[in-house]
Amino acid sequence: MNDRDIQVFIACVQRYFESLKRDVTVVIEPPFIKDEEKPFLEYTGIIGISGKAHGAVCFTANGVMLESILSFLKEAPIDRNLICDLVGEIANTLSGNAREEFGRDFLISVPIVSTGKNVGFKFPPDCRNYVIPIIWQGEKAYLLVCLS
Amino acid sequence: MKLLIVDDSSVVRRAIERDLESGEITEVDQAATGEDAVRLYGAKLHDVVTLDITMPGMDGLTCLDKIIEINPEARVLIISALRDKATAIDAIKRGASGFLCKPINPPELREAFQLLIED
Repeated sequence: MNDRDIQVFIACVQRYFESLKRDVTVVIEPPFIKDEEKPFLEYTGIIGISGKAHGAVCFTANGVMLESILSFLKEAPIDRNLICDLVGEIANTLSGNAREEFGRDFLISVPIVSTGKNVGFKFPPDCRNYVIPIIWQGEKAYLLVCLS
Repeated sequence: MKLLIVDDSSVVRRAIERDLESGEITEVDQAATGEDAVRLYGAKLHDVVTLDITMPGMDGLTCLDKIIEINPEARVLIISALRDKATAIDAIKRGASGFLCKPINPPELREAFQLLIED
């Protein structure tokens, strides 16, 4: 992974949040590397990556942000199942959109959804963890890119 | 007009249904897997199918092959997060009538749907 690759994911995040509400700005803070203790929030959607790259792409957010997105999508009533569905779908969309740049051999799995800080997914030990902080409507989320 | 919406995400299925709500659609079915989609399509021969690609079990492209086997004239609109050209070209070669990328843009979706039903 290099800076250019991370820019691909930043563009995907930008596109996703702009598609929700054009008049609400999404702020993407400078990415950083955090190999120890990944910053998981309440809900995490994990996409396993294989083929051209190996590892995972995760979107993690608190329930408040996900509920706001569901409200924007006109979902009501909102329950935990819908929140889990959405966090997986966001992870899927961001990873799948990255194929525009990485091509068809960037293979993505179906989403795995995890709740809480302890995410039961085996991340490859030889990957660096790039963290992209996202702020939308005052709420923070992260896109974690852990790829070799 | 009968519409079949295939996506493993219920949030996406419902968003598509809401975006396409119109007087022209009289019946909507939803499927969360390729297997269910093939079974439903075989039973009802929907006028339009929207189809995701990345799903557990049977993926969308295999599902597309099976729908086209049942009805070579099927109108299938792929709606996928996979934004690479090769996948879109492959889907069209296999018989899809259109390809839209997620995140879904409602006006684009309605336009693609309109083009499909006028075809």
